[in-house]
Amino acid sequence: MSALHYARPESLADAIAILEQYGPGARVLNGGTDLMVRFQKMQVTPEAIVDIKRVRDMSDAIVWDGDSVTIGARVVMTRLIRDERIRRRYPALVDAASTVGSIQIRNRATLAGNICNASPAADTVPPLLVHGATVQLVGSSGSRETPLDGFFLAPGKTARAPDELLVSITIPPHRSPYGAAFGRLTRRHGVDLASINMACAIDAERAVTFAFGAVGPTPITVKDTSGALADHTVSDAQRDAALQALIARTSPISDVRASAAYRSAMLLVIGRRVLAQAQQRRADFDARE
Amino acid sequence: MAGQLIPITLTVNGTTCRSEVPPHLTLLEFLRDTLNLTGSKRCCGEGECGACTAIMNGEAVNTCLILAAEADGSDLITVEGLSAMPYGARLQQTFLDQGAVQCGFCTPGMVVAAQYLLMNNPDPTPDEIREGLSGNLCRCTGYARIVEAVMGAAGDE
Amino acid sequence: MSNADAHSGITHSGIIGRPINRVGGPERVDGTYRYVGDIKIPNVLHTRLVHLDCGRARIHSVDTSAALQMPGVRAILSGKELPASVKRFGPANRDRPILAIDETTFHGEPVAIVAADTVWAAAQGAAAVVVDYQELPGIYTVEDALAPGAALVQDPALRPNSAYKETNILNEWKFGWGAVDSAEADLVVENDYTFPMMTQFAIEPFTYAVEPTSDGITVYSAIQHPNYLQRVIAEFLDMPLSRVRVIAPDPGGAFGGKQHAKFEPLLAYLALRIGRPLRLELTLEESFQAARRTSAQAHIRTGFQRNGTLVFQDVEINYLIGAYEDIAGRLVAKGSYAGGGGPYRIPNVRILARGVFSNTVPSTAMRGFGLPQMNWPVECQIDEAARELGIDPVELRMKNLPEYGEVFMPQDPPADGRWAETLRKGADAIGWGKPLPPGRGRGISMGLKLGPTTGASYAIVRLHGDGSATVLAGTSDMGQGARTVYTQIAAHELGLSPQRIMVVMGDTQGVPFDLQTSASRSAVFMGNAVLRACRDVARQVQELAAEHYKADAVIVEPGTVEVGGQRKTFDQVMTDRFSKVKGEVIGSGSARAEYDETHPLNGRPAFYEVTCTAVEIEVDKETGVMVFHKLVTVADVGRALNSQHVAMQDDGGAIQGLGHTVMEQYFMDDRGRVRNLGALDYRIPTTMDTPRELISLHVENGDGPGPYGAKGAAEGGILAVSPAVAAAVCAATGAMIRELPLTPQRIWEALHT
Repeated sequence: MSALHYARPESLADAIAILEQYGPGARVLNGGTDLMVRFQKMQVTPEAIVDIKRVRDMSDAIVWDGDSVTIGARVVMTRLIRDERIRRRYPALVDAASTVGSIQIRNRATLAGNICNASPAADTVPPLLVHGATVQLVGSSGSRETPLDGFFLAPGKTARAPDELLVSITIPPHRSPYGAAFGRLTRRHGVDLASINMACAIDAERAVTFAFGAVGPTPITVKDTSGALADHTVSDAQRDAALQALIARTSPISDVRASAAYRSAMLLVIGRRVLAQAQQRRADFDARE
Repeated sequence: MAGQLIPITLTVNGTTCRSEVPPHLTLLEFLRDTLNLTGSKRCCGEGECGACTAIMNGEAVNTCLILAAEADGSDLITVEGLSAMPYGARLQQTFLDQGAVQCGFCTPGMVVAAQYLLMNNPDPTPDEIREGLSGNLCRCTGYARIVEAVMGAAGDE
Repeated sequence: MSNADAHSGITHSGIIGRPINRVGGPERVDGTYRYVGDIKIPNVLHTRLVHLDCGRARIHSVDTSAALQMPGVRAILSGKELPASVKRFGPANRDRPILAIDETTFHGEPVAIVAADTVWAAAQGAAAVVVDYQELPGIYTVEDALAPGAALVQDPALRPNSAYKETNILNEWKFGWGAVDSAEADLVVENDYTFPMMTQFAIEPFTYAVEPTSDGITVYSAIQHPNYLQRVIAEFLDMPLSRVRVIAPDPGGAFGGKQHAKFEPLLAYLALRIGRPLRLELTLEESFQAARRTSAQAHIRTGFQRNGTLVFQDVEINYLIGAYEDIAGRLVAKGSYAGGGGPYRIPNVRILARGVFSNTVPSTAMRGFGLPQMNWPVECQIDEAARELGIDPVELRMKNLPEYGEVFMPQDPPADGRWAETLRKGADAIGWGKPLPPGRGRGISMGLKLGPTTGASYAIVRLHGDGSATVLAGTSDMGQGARTVYTQIAAHELGLSPQRIMVVMGDTQGVPFDLQTSASRSAVFMGNAVLRACRDVARQVQELAAEHYKADAVIVEPGTVEVGGQRKTFDQVMTDRFSKVKGEVIGSGSARAEYDETHPLNGRPAFYEVTCTAVEIEVDKETGVMVFHKLVTVADVGRALNSQHVAMQDDGGAIQGLGHTVMEQYFMDDRGRVRNLGALDYRIPTTMDTPRELISLHVENGDGPGPYGAKGAAEGGILAVSPAVAAAVCAATGAMIRELPLTPQRIWEALHT
């Protein structure tokens, strides 16, 4: 066993060089709210901890370009939740970020970290997925941008290469009217990991997108093509049938948080509520702007 | 083989501290073992219990989930420095008066979290207090008296 | 015990009953109180345990060679290397080895211990210990344990005198009275109930240190029973009690989990072997593997007359205990004996209770001591009958509560409280019978726990030359406020302000013997011992005043003596007497309850702890998610020595009860591994899970055996939460659930599957 090394690079090039040097033995330390838990339990035994919080190009800014927003890798949940424009435009993301851990956790945990940990239950991922977010990565072979949909490969595993850093997340503009909502189910009212979570977005063309978390090895994105979900004049039975068609694409399992059957049933119950809230927000969208 | 030592400088309760720390050392261990500030407590090691809560650069954090090396350059307030904070002494008194302290092991983290809450929301509702303290577990009190204590300390300084 | 002296002189100073702030509070809010983990010991080595990721295993070999080469690692001891002369230990039967020797018998039983310069080095060393083992099938449930031909959890040689040594049964207890089989009932309610495997979850994880000294050994432990630990260590090491010093700082929460020795004997052995002080801080996960509450399964038949009169109770309950006995024998007996009937007049009762060994985390005491497991079925049965008979649940309970002074358990003291008052107060506070919005429900329940059936508490009070006083009392103040009420008793009896009194606890070298801090005993037993020690001081001050002032002296009120027509406070007498040649007055007092072999529990309870809990909840029927609107507890405490402290205990007990009622449970896989160790997936209530209104009330009739008529408090609040909540869920949804905890999923399953 070699001794643990702590690195605090100040440039992206240095950070990537260290990641290259240590390969899979390196762990990126951002907010640390996930890594430090696993590190102390010896579930991960890194050779190098690469603290990226002083890397100049890793931004802690929320930058708007027209109606598109780019969130730097160092933006913590609290910063996101407090941002007035994010609150107006992306309440589903704010609602999700507000459920991540406790306030102490949200003061450290970053949106980038929530993505890179690739927990199937990550709360901020479903809203980012329904918003069509992309992530920007920089590595030894250059930089690239990739849709978040498809970025998750397995629990704890993403398409990020060991020598790549996720530097920012971009949410593209959405034509109004647009509405999205987030929902989750937990075992208790205070701070809890989600038994299931989900987001729903309804765009200007009445296309409905759902993303579900904790009901498969990775979060999954599904689109309603029946048209039944955006139309609030359809019967409850038609709406439920359309929701069930989406839910059928999930693969929940039983674990210490919930049984598969309960998860499946709750996808429909929470799905209805989230859909209704997304519809309401879409109707209110213009008023808010 | 001598392990890596990282030089750090930070301000703890207004005092500048310089030290050299090994890479694995957590901020909580640094506070407790190096600085002998044992008011911050260790319990869960996963950011669930809040017993190790301190205020770092103005934000409440779990010191068990931060490396001492990461804290380089930071400004830290622990329970030992609480009485100098705007609500600190008042909170300490209302916790005593309301009977919000039993075994007391969660109390340091709880009063620090309460201080942070009032800094950001000087006039909270009971629900806002419950939300603001939901990252701090207490097994003795049933929390109601803690909420009362924070209500009692609220308001402009 | 005699109560004659305990009931007099309550009103003079006004400090008895007053809600003075917690003594020891200021050093808790500023972080300066030194818990056991905050004590620095020079030259100490840090240790870490090595355990296996399975429920049960045969250990082939333990290879420590690589670990010993790691930087900072100083010593490693495995169970394989233990000399046969090293004794086993345990509070009742000495059945537990300090390290697993040939077999691990539960998930988390340590096979080795690593001592190193730092915590980090010890952890790295522990990870480098290589254990060659073979996983074995284990016994993880009551059904497995009682199945014909089941493998034995415990070697019969460990309990050669037990009639059950060839089974997985620790013991079987049969209690009761009347004739259940011939009792005639109009309605018989028959059901099965389960209570989950759960843990105490003190926020302070288990932490220990042991320091060999030139004249013996010092053990640092946040233990509830310092004198019990002292005896266990003395016997384990073959040392006289006088050479074993236990330093027991106030525990950071205990709840029964810190009653008995766990890793102190292991540390003591290794510390003496290598001649270095050692320290061990368990992780929270390891703390979950060190102590838990017994789970239980009950089958119960309850007979009623059509008018609601209870006719019989017939209950069989199996408590699933761990792989070692710990205190389970006492727990099963005491829990089932009193719980079988509850606080009711039942002419025919039959109780069959078993403690059943399993390859699971050692079970030990927890608040309520076997009663919450029993009160759960007993009270649910009453609600079931109320529904079937169309009788209001409060009225049905009223009908069956004994009157004050009525014998309701033939071999025990008569009812010592006005329990109908307790029930009525709870019903009124919850708004029983008033209309509710849809989706909401109310439930109410009673609970009874026997007070301590044994007791031996000794106190010394030193009245110093300046009129201040030091109280030496061996109770552990784990948050219940013992330090505060002893201060109040001494302040009252000696006529001093609380600020002039210091209560010293937790050091067996200077503090006299106390049997234990448990069973809500400390206000009554140690309280009486302190009171008697104060009165011993008073008697001496009286003598001393007569001698000093050369006049007749009489105590006219606590802390004041009349001498030669003049009133003098003790303070004045002391300063006058000890102005030239210094000195002090030392008083002692004790309170005991003796062994009684004629009683089924070998001792009659000192009092009954009777409680009422009432709740109002709301259920989201689509998800099963429950919201608590209001929770009321009412405790019959005889006399509240500190009204705020009594309410604090009931608040805390109620919310702990809410925990096991709606969320707390171990999840075990089929290999006997606990899958939710730690705070992420073992849920306890947070600030947001508590009722919007939490109200703790008490009944005071001055009818207890403790100082000024006090009874014990602190456990009652946890007893009756589960049945009250289940009744409320049933009222709100129509679903009666007999398996705890009532998680959203379980409520949803009851409504939808």
